[in-house]
Amino acid sequence: MDPQTQMDISNLSEADKKDLSQILQNESQKTTIQQSVHQLSDICFKKCIAGRPITSGALSRDEESCAENCVQRWMDTQTSIITKLQSMR
Amino acid sequence: MSLFGSGSASPAPKSGSDVKAGIVQQLQQESAMNNARLLIEKINENCFDACIPAPGSTMSSQESGCISSCMDKYIQLWNISSKTYISRLGQEHKRMA
Repeated sequence: MDPQTQMDISNLSEADKKDLSQILQNESQKTTIQQSVHQLSDICFKKCIAGRPITSGALSRDEESCAENCVQRWMDTQTSIITKLQSMR
Repeated sequence: MSLFGSGSASPAPKSGSDVKAGIVQQLQQESAMNNARLLIEKINENCFDACIPAPGSTMSSQESGCISSCMDKYIQLWNISSKTYISRLGQEHKRMA
């Protein structure tokens, strides 16, 4: 961040600071979601696309449904892990 | 963007809302950059794996064609994951509420 902006933070009113903190929180949440999408795409590309020669630039029907299922089952996996861990406490 | 420090020659103190807008803009820019960087990194990794199993002294036209198709596929898959993940998050959120 450039020093000019940093110094000027003292000019912010309380309302501005509150507002900014809310915006920061939203951005941080957005970043978390984006990172999950990157992670999932990586995992699901390896599951659904890799291993066979790439002959076209379009996803086949099978690949499309595989990608969708991959995300859904990954989240099911996450849910079952959390449920099991909770039952073990 | 100027080379030497901030562009505004007059060091008049910015108003609070200007500062806020500046911070938000910078934040969003950096976030978008980060998102793009991650996508490039993942495509590079996965498509290199898929298309260049045995690196030769030059990239063949077949290999660069494969990279191009692979990239198209990856972006489509990324869109599907994004849509599926976000709709699932919405469902879970509703279920919890």
